[in-house]
Amino acid sequence: MLSFVARRIAAAFGTLLLSSVLVFLAVQALPGDVATQVLGKDATPDAVAALRTQLGLDQPAWERYFDWVRGALHGDFGTSLVSGKAVGGEVSLYLGNSALIALITVLFAVTGSIVLGIVAGLYRDRWPDHLISTVSLVGMSVPEFVVATVLVLCFSVALPWFPAVVLYGPEASVGQLLPAVWLPALALAIVMAAYIVRMTRTSVIDVMAGEYVTTARLKGLSTWRVVTRHALPSALLPTLHVIALNVAWLAGGVAVVENVFNYPGIGKLMLSSVQNRDLPVIQAIALVSAVVYVCCNLAADLAAMALNPKLRTRGRTR
Amino acid sequence: MSGSIVSVNSLSVAYRSGGRDVPVVHEVSLEVAQGRTLALVGESGSGKSTVAATLLGHLRYGSRITGGSVVVDGQDVFALPARELRRLRGSTVALVGQNAGHALTPSMRIGRQIAEAGGSVPVVDLLEQVRLPRPAELARRYPHELSGGQQQRVAIAMAVAARPKVLVLDEPTTGLDVVTQRGVLDLIAALRDELGLAAVLVSHDLGVVAHMADEVTVLRSGRVVEAAPTRTLFTAPQDPYTRRLLASVPRLDDAGLAVVGETGEREVRPKVPVPDDSPVAVSAVDVTVDYGSARAVHGVSFDVRRGEVLALVGESGSGKSTLAWTLAGLRTPSGGTMTHQPGHTDPGDLARPAGRRPLSLRRRVQLVFQNADTSLNPRRSVGDAIRRPLRFFGTADSRPQAAERARGLITDVRLDPDLADRLPAQLSGGQRQRIGIARALAGEPDVLIADEITTALDVSVQADVLRLLDDLRRERQLACLFISHDLAVVRGIADRVVVLRNGVVVEEGPTDAVFASPGHPYTRQLMAAALEPDPDAHPFVEGDTGDLDWEDAAEPDDQWTEHGDGHRVRRWRTADALVTEGVS
Amino acid sequence: MTALTLAPVAGRAWRTLRTSRTAVIGLAIVAVHVLIALLAPVLTSYDPIANDSSEALLGPSWSHWEGTDQYGRDVLARVLYGGRYALGVSVTATLLTVALGTVVGCAAALRGGWFDDVLGRVLDAILSVPSVLALLVIVTALGTGPSVIVLAIAVVYVPQVVRVVRGAALAVVPADYVTAARARGEGTWAILRREILPNITDVVCVEFAMRASWVVLLISSLSFLGFGADPPTPDWGLMVAENRTAITVVPMASLAPIIALATLVVGLNLAADGLSKAWGVDRIREGN
Repeated sequence: MLSFVARRIAAAFGTLLLSSVLVFLAVQALPGDVATQVLGKDATPDAVAALRTQLGLDQPAWERYFDWVRGALHGDFGTSLVSGKAVGGEVSLYLGNSALIALITVLFAVTGSIVLGIVAGLYRDRWPDHLISTVSLVGMSVPEFVVATVLVLCFSVALPWFPAVVLYGPEASVGQLLPAVWLPALALAIVMAAYIVRMTRTSVIDVMAGEYVTTARLKGLSTWRVVTRHALPSALLPTLHVIALNVAWLAGGVAVVENVFNYPGIGKLMLSSVQNRDLPVIQAIALVSAVVYVCCNLAADLAAMALNPKLRTRGRTR
Repeated sequence: MSGSIVSVNSLSVAYRSGGRDVPVVHEVSLEVAQGRTLALVGESGSGKSTVAATLLGHLRYGSRITGGSVVVDGQDVFALPARELRRLRGSTVALVGQNAGHALTPSMRIGRQIAEAGGSVPVVDLLEQVRLPRPAELARRYPHELSGGQQQRVAIAMAVAARPKVLVLDEPTTGLDVVTQRGVLDLIAALRDELGLAAVLVSHDLGVVAHMADEVTVLRSGRVVEAAPTRTLFTAPQDPYTRRLLASVPRLDDAGLAVVGETGEREVRPKVPVPDDSPVAVSAVDVTVDYGSARAVHGVSFDVRRGEVLALVGESGSGKSTLAWTLAGLRTPSGGTMTHQPGHTDPGDLARPAGRRPLSLRRRVQLVFQNADTSLNPRRSVGDAIRRPLRFFGTADSRPQAAERARGLITDVRLDPDLADRLPAQLSGGQRQRIGIARALAGEPDVLIADEITTALDVSVQADVLRLLDDLRRERQLACLFISHDLAVVRGIADRVVVLRNGVVVEEGPTDAVFASPGHPYTRQLMAAALEPDPDAHPFVEGDTGDLDWEDAAEPDDQWTEHGDGHRVRRWRTADALVTEGVS
Repeated sequence: MTALTLAPVAGRAWRTLRTSRTAVIGLAIVAVHVLIALLAPVLTSYDPIANDSSEALLGPSWSHWEGTDQYGRDVLARVLYGGRYALGVSVTATLLTVALGTVVGCAAALRGGWFDDVLGRVLDAILSVPSVLALLVIVTALGTGPSVIVLAIAVVYVPQVVRVVRGAALAVVPADYVTAARARGEGTWAILRREILPNITDVVCVEFAMRASWVVLLISSLSFLGFGADPPTPDWGLMVAENRTAITVVPMASLAPIIALATLVVGLNLAADGLSKAWGVDRIREGN
């Protein structure tokens, strides 16, 4: 069991390393000279050269990469080309705000959708299944900005319960942001839940049709016991990775929703930094997102280990 | 019928497919008295499993009862409300299925699963009752940590936990090794007698049925063909189908292949001896094959001449399939040599993988697979499956020639050449297996490797395919390597036998010699475990050799005991004795 | 593929359509969208990008069935033409993505060994970067032309398609007919083409439909954020963004593109759903 955990952690590190290289190469490979972009087309060659030295762009790529990685490990991601402030601090500020949305979204979306998926799977082809499947189909089919816009229409304009736009900056406190969190979270939750519901449903149907569930039924056990003790541990296994993927997706998926609500989160920072070619910020966001992705997958693997004894113990012993 | 604990009356079951009702069981009736065992016998598609499942009130998704009733212990099973049905399933009827590995919940410890089945017998006692060692420790294990035989015993323990009155067994030993199978069947028989259970045994294996059942009902395409007490059925079958079925089962004392007539007459056609001057087609010397760090084959040597059938016999893990695949070029041996036509001026090296052999060598050694369902591409016509090797190996030069040759090959395997345009799903299992043989012949090989080709076929089809193989090897002077675990089949078709155990040859020799006087205790154990379709059969091997404790006594320079005429036995000794020679 | 008889393929397609109502509805919706996009010039006489400030912000009327937006452009015309951009770019991008992903996924499943391992690592690394960010970066760097978006989408979605196809191919690779081809000494590409591909077309088709729906959503989101279609191109996402501020005055200008978008994606998803149920593809093998 320990070797399984150790191997997974090692793999996670490997992926992270590879991601950092990819991110660095991709961002550095952007065409167009950064210095010229920042200073504008009319800048003098001297000013451009000075900025390039200041940014360290005259060093070879692999040196810059190692500098960056070393700094990142200490939390130093460089300084923003736009605001001049430390990137690490800025990113963590915006990230914290988005984390608030993410927390609420995951809490409600994940638990709700697992339950709905189980119900849909158990009542396959009957009305609860049809209802849940149809709603989840629609939820999947509408882009987040549409859901957000519709929510604004319903709950900010028609019924003024929630603010339509956030007027605070990134330094806003949790208390100030709390009323503004619910609509974005709901918009994201609807889309996320749809995928989890469908995956759970398929998984439950598959497992319930399996031989060991039939055997458990033929032992004379009650349906509740068959479902909770025999079917669910195996049915939830494939769902774990879908959940991990969706949670990791939130890191980027918030961009659209935060744009609609003008919420000061990581998505907003992403958009502005891309527009402004603020390379250190882009790199930092990409790396942080990669960390989130890798952590989510690792968590899913560990949870799978808890549910699947084949991963915990070795094979056949006589 | 008083005294009958199970009573099926004119039962009909159908399932819905494409808007229509497809009947699976048609007006089947049977009775089982308390303490008696009834066997349901039939080939695939006979509906026997469906009928057995109805005894627990279970129907497959999409099936329904279209007539008749099932009464167990006085209750109409399909009229029971849910709670009563659950009680029936727990304490009156229990099922032991075929694949215990799939029937046990992988995420729950087996002790818990057995305890769930109810009853007042402690789990440890139950595990002891099914003869499992170290029951307390075993109860804490998960299903995947047990072997196939152990899993099946756990399934049996689960079934008898609540002391039911009826035990339904659906192919309980199919898929298990011969020796393990015998152990499990003996256990079932013992439990049945101890607990006074009535049993319904579903099987396609007539040997198992003869050994275990009091009464037999034969099913075909969902209908009852014949029902009689076991001895009556086996000695004087009435229906032509039953007679053909019984006649098609190979016996251990058949010195050749059986030819079965329309009304069930049986004639064993003698083997044609291989001419002495037949050249050796394949020679393997001291072959070792590894799977990673585990060794599957330890220094095996054999020769196959043209026109000869050499059988590799063993249980799972014996290395027989590994050897077959290595010869075909799908695995690389880690030691030893494999040569094609060793006496020739230009022998071919078979120790290289198929991709690295020259084309002319590749086509000379061909493989026929076990499972006809997966050996043909479901999206391509069977004619295409044959044309491809014809074109690839260059035995046909142009497309029209390939098409014609393919039709010729289909005729050679005794099928209608118009089948060439059909998809595999439109053919029966036996037809698909013949196409597999035709495909292997497309390369004009002189070595044919048959990997358990009859194991997945119904008994009546088995005999036809074996006869076809025999005819083909005589016509084309093929060297045949025949892999099997079924000793009776091997007796009928093979000229020489090699018995493998854990990757080592324990006995080899001409078939008649080995079967007449097997020298190695393992060989005797295999033969003793085989079940003949004859309720009064004496064990094939005299004496109680099944439990003999023996150990390997072969030295690198003194491995064999010669019995003359090519029959030799690997040295062994009884486990607690001094070194003695193995004498037959 | 020459020996693949057409008759069984056509027969199977017909049987599928007969049994799955969901698939038929979904495909019908998509077909209608395609038709409308093709016939847009015929269906409306208005020019979707012609400004006419005198007609700005009108509600639905007989001359403008869905009203006009703030630049005086006819909303219905823009919705009808919007389908061209959405469908054109989406279909191209999805075709490229699925084609690439299928080839790579099959090769990984067949080759196995170090090729599969290394590929898995690289794909995992690509997947760890959020797709929105990757898209934004590529688009910002290379411009917002349709070819760039197609390329960007391919980069972002190929890893996911590879995962799905690899899973499906892994189920086929152990089959004996593939082993028989290997025993003949056939090359990797030949085995891929002849043995594996025909047996995973089910999964690939369903994946195509599902992926197309994701791509349509992604493109509209991109346009909404201003990184996709350039104004004045009629695009549904762009329309929602443009008319957002005027949503209380002319709600139809925002609702019409939303409805068009939603129906297209629902149609694609229904088709994917129906086909996967009819072909038995919706088993767990399709795990992400």
